[in-house]
Amino acid sequence: MPTASETTEPTEPTKTRRTAAAGASGNGGARPARTVQQGRRKPEFTARRGFLIALFMAPAAIFVAVFTYYPMIAGSQMAFRNWKLTDLTDTSWVGLKNFRDVFADPAWGTVLGNTGIWVFGSIVPQLVIGFALALWLRRKFRFRGLYQALIFFPWAISGFLIGILFRWMFNSEFGVVNDLLQKAGLIDEPVAWLADPKTAMFAVVVANVWYGVTFFTIMILAALQSIPEELYEAAALDGAGKVRTLFQITIPYIRVTLALTVLLRIIWIFNFPDLIFGMTGGGPNNETHIVTTWMIKITQQGDYGRASALGLIVVATLMVFAVFFLLATREKREVKP
Amino acid sequence: MRTRTAALALGTAATMVLTGCSSMSGSQADGTVTLNMVESLTNPARTDLLKGLIGDFEQQNPKIKVNLISPPTEQADQKIQQMLQSGSGVDTLEVRDTTVGPWSNNGWLYDMKPDLKAWKGWKAMTENAVKASEDADGKTYFVPYGFYGLSVFYRTDLIKEAGFSKPPATWDELLEQASAIHDPGKRRFGYAFRGGANAQGNATAVIEAYVADEIDPADGFKLKDGSTIFSAPEALDAMQTYLKLFKDASPKSSVSWGYPEMVEGFSNGSTAFLLQDPEVIATVSESKSIKKDQWSTAPLVAGPSGKTVQPLATAGWGVAKGSKNKAEAVKLVEFLSEGEASTNFTKKNSLVPILKSATEDPFYKTGPWSSYVTMTENPDTYLNVSQPRGVAWWAEWQQKADADIQKMVLGKATPKELLAGWDTYWIEKRQQEN
Repeated sequence: MPTASETTEPTEPTKTRRTAAAGASGNGGARPARTVQQGRRKPEFTARRGFLIALFMAPAAIFVAVFTYYPMIAGSQMAFRNWKLTDLTDTSWVGLKNFRDVFADPAWGTVLGNTGIWVFGSIVPQLVIGFALALWLRRKFRFRGLYQALIFFPWAISGFLIGILFRWMFNSEFGVVNDLLQKAGLIDEPVAWLADPKTAMFAVVVANVWYGVTFFTIMILAALQSIPEELYEAAALDGAGKVRTLFQITIPYIRVTLALTVLLRIIWIFNFPDLIFGMTGGGPNNETHIVTTWMIKITQQGDYGRASALGLIVVATLMVFAVFFLLATREKREVKP
Repeated sequence: MRTRTAALALGTAATMVLTGCSSMSGSQADGTVTLNMVESLTNPARTDLLKGLIGDFEQQNPKIKVNLISPPTEQADQKIQQMLQSGSGVDTLEVRDTTVGPWSNNGWLYDMKPDLKAWKGWKAMTENAVKASEDADGKTYFVPYGFYGLSVFYRTDLIKEAGFSKPPATWDELLEQASAIHDPGKRRFGYAFRGGANAQGNATAVIEAYVADEIDPADGFKLKDGSTIFSAPEALDAMQTYLKLFKDASPKSSVSWGYPEMVEGFSNGSTAFLLQDPEVIATVSESKSIKKDQWSTAPLVAGPSGKTVQPLATAGWGVAKGSKNKAEAVKLVEFLSEGEASTNFTKKNSLVPILKSATEDPFYKTGPWSSYVTMTENPDTYLNVSQPRGVAWWAEWQQKADADIQKMVLGKATPKELLAGWDTYWIEKRQQEN
């Protein structure tokens, strides 16, 4: 095991010492001893130390290379080959054919439109409801802890399971949604929510809103709790009303958190096929597919080449979002030193 | 000291990776051979049944051990594909009529024909089973363990209430009875329509029943004159009846119903008719919502000519080409395909048996099973026709056809358009083949 002197830097700035690794091996005496400059802690980097660092990192690096980078690279080259599971005797190079096939698919327009509805139709209500809940939970009242636990509960369930749950709730024959709406007198006869392409997308978005509100609530509540109480007291003294306080103190103060959360959620929702799979499997008639469920469907059909091409398109799209994400993070540092 | 620790860590990691990758199967120094066997239509009861049969096999063959791998059904075929692609790790495996095409096409399956030449089991098997064990080139990539065949599950009490004295014998009668019973307001539905996964299976069954007089027995997708079954005028009548069955007698959400929803719909007591394989008998028998005397089965409904076609689906046991213990693997296939083991498997797994002797068994002569015996004993009314399920594009066809049926029931395509599309598809695929 390395001793304390081998792993810690000298605490006395003026002290001259030989490098620990060199000393331990016994041949370091040939090398000149280094002096650490006054007032600065400079890590001593030698080839041997570098080698050891590399050696310790090697298992992790090998694992990442084998299980992350290799499949990524292998998968990427599939996008340019005729890679169909039904016939692997011909996996020749086909250039951009798989990409063309993705865009030429008659369902592509629907898939793209659905992805837009899925992302933005989910994010706006999630933000609004999440914000309202966070504002409510910020106040001190009885059983606040219990309410918090109940609201955060959906986040603990898998998306696929929630999908199956909502599939039964929206079932046209036995579902609780129709039952409640009928009892409330809002509909005369049961609606085939998931069987009708017009309502199916609406139903999956509703389920996603329910699922995602929690995350916004958690993030916004954390940000709200960082706002100093004096700001509100000062605003009250100045005679600001509730609405004015919300728009002139609360929102500006947590603006960065809001922006970051929205960006993060856009990426997540875009990349979240579980719920749709559990609820509709992309049906009926492919009308509730989004880009990622579409990619899984193509994989299930055994066309790995085309699925891989779509995968690369998804990666490229998400990278654009990542740039936005990084820009927003940079702004955070400037605003809050 | 540090170097030694690092080397140890690296060594441990490397060993973990290598042991993870190595195959468990193979022969040991004392001559014992371990076979890896993978099943595909997995469920817990079936796995226990298989384990029991394997136990008997091991007792008879003390030098062979069998390691049964049972991936969850939904991922099983994909998992088997990955194992086969890697070239090792599988000896005996479950092969289905729908997977045999692509897998043999990729060179992953072993032709057992030469090994099975002298096998006495052939003589005990039904004609259907012998036929199903050979592909178009006469190669044997799997020996069937049983057949899945459609029959009508129906509610005895509900048809009586609606004023009918016996279950439907034709598609028209089915439509009539199901419509009479259908009452969504009371949460009572006529027919468990299949609009989701594998919707094409039932749709093809209607069409085949309507063209029964002209169908080519060797290829259930062809008429005797060489054209496709989808081009016949009767096919249009069939599809129109079928669409009516959805509109007038099926729950709205059945547009996406697959196997679990259909079986659930019947066994929870809300749906009066269900077209399913015999394996469902076991599931419905366990239902707490409907009692034993409230349901039964009837032979598959016929077309206008009074004849129908049994589109028998099958699966069986095969051997991987990459197996290093082919002789032992074939031995296991032989064991599972004959005698006590086979009878046991078909009975407990509710399958149409592969052995001739099974039809004499009282088990198959009574209750819900009797309709299958009726069908087997009347081959002139219930025609046995092979479907080209082994073609490499079968999975592609299934997906296309399933999507088209949803389009039709949602009103986005007419039955005529659907049939024209299918006709063109099969003509093109057959031309590419030749």
